[in-house]
Amino acid sequence: MRVRLPGLYIALAVVLAGLIHVVAVLTLPVLAPRDAHARLAALGPVNTIIQLPTVTPGQQVMPNMVPDVRYAVCLFDLSDGPVRLRARIPNELWLIAFYTPLGENFYTVIGADMKRADVDLIVTEKDQPVPDVGVDSTETFDNVVVVSSPVTKGVALIRAPLAGPSRSAEAERALKATYCGTRKSGPTISSP
Amino acid sequence: MPISGTSTHTSLWREDGGTSMRALGYFVGTFAVALILGIGSAWYMIERGTVLTTTRVGPWKSWVSEGNPSADPYTRAHLARSGRLPLTSTAARYFVSTTDSSGGGLSASCEYSITGGPLNARWWSMALYDTYGSLIPNPSKRYSFNSEGAIRHTDGGYRIHISRKARPGNWLPSGNDSGKNLTLLLRIYGLRDTDISGIGQVPPESLPKIERLRCE
Repeated sequence: MRVRLPGLYIALAVVLAGLIHVVAVLTLPVLAPRDAHARLAALGPVNTIIQLPTVTPGQQVMPNMVPDVRYAVCLFDLSDGPVRLRARIPNELWLIAFYTPLGENFYTVIGADMKRADVDLIVTEKDQPVPDVGVDSTETFDNVVVVSSPVTKGVALIRAPLAGPSRSAEAERALKATYCGTRKSGPTISSP
Repeated sequence: MPISGTSTHTSLWREDGGTSMRALGYFVGTFAVALILGIGSAWYMIERGTVLTTTRVGPWKSWVSEGNPSADPYTRAHLARSGRLPLTSTAARYFVSTTDSSGGGLSASCEYSITGGPLNARWWSMALYDTYGSLIPNPSKRYSFNSEGAIRHTDGGYRIHISRKARPGNWLPSGNDSGKNLTLLLRIYGLRDTDISGIGQVPPESLPKIERLRCE
């Protein structure tokens, strides 16, 4: 009996360690206090475009951002209905990525895959009626991409990688002209 | 009989006391060991990654399922801790390095030469950070090189120099704080070679070699 006792405790320690391991791994994403969503949520109101300042040392919203990409963010909140995101992308490098608060990238618009420079997106929650956002005819509907969001609140992050050493002004102008909001028909975007 | 009975009882009592103290000690010990093992293994798998969650090529490491909604719990935890919003591997690939090609830690007190082959992608950028993912302040305000801005060889390959002092060509300054540990991040957007599930593929020989030249 006494000989077997340490073996029993070792087995207990291993089982307990396994449990602690699993609990730690599963709860960390929920408990992490400085995740990307928390950092971005502090920047401003929801359903509007927030242009992030050019990344410099000490001016980084998130770690590992790079100055040769210009960023804009829209914190979307679908509790009052779908949100519309319109952009005229100046080059094929642009990426519009949608995230849940846990950082799951559930949808990405890749500039190079778009047939047109005008990107018109409607972010809806599953089962939310799309026509609410002013898409009334099938003709306009053809140019609209419906993004089905698994969450009510999330993040749309627009990346504008610089296509050349002197292209930053162009990228910033195009980001500034981007619209994100609940208005039924977004404003016409002037050519950047 | 009653006497021996009493003595048996006493001896049992003493024995019990010893056993329960020992049991308590064992229990506390068991719990401490379990805590260290559990937290330690979780930390290692979240922070460093394993073959299940990361691809390693020379000094480079890439979390394959980062940002993917169906990612494994370790990748999710890694992402939440990092505070970043990466693109999934079908849109972009990220390769991180904290060591040179021979395994020595990247330090601001050393000089490095990064030699990379051409990448079959729409755009890439190589950036230098400290351990926390912050850019390193320097008077030249130079923090990264991308596919459009870097001086490249005729075959599309390139060479980047990491040094505290100015160097000709693609010079990435490592700042004034010589004690700093460095992290290199290569982000590649729009890889043209993909596997069957659309994940961008980088041939191992295309990932740059990091050679340590000299240290102060």
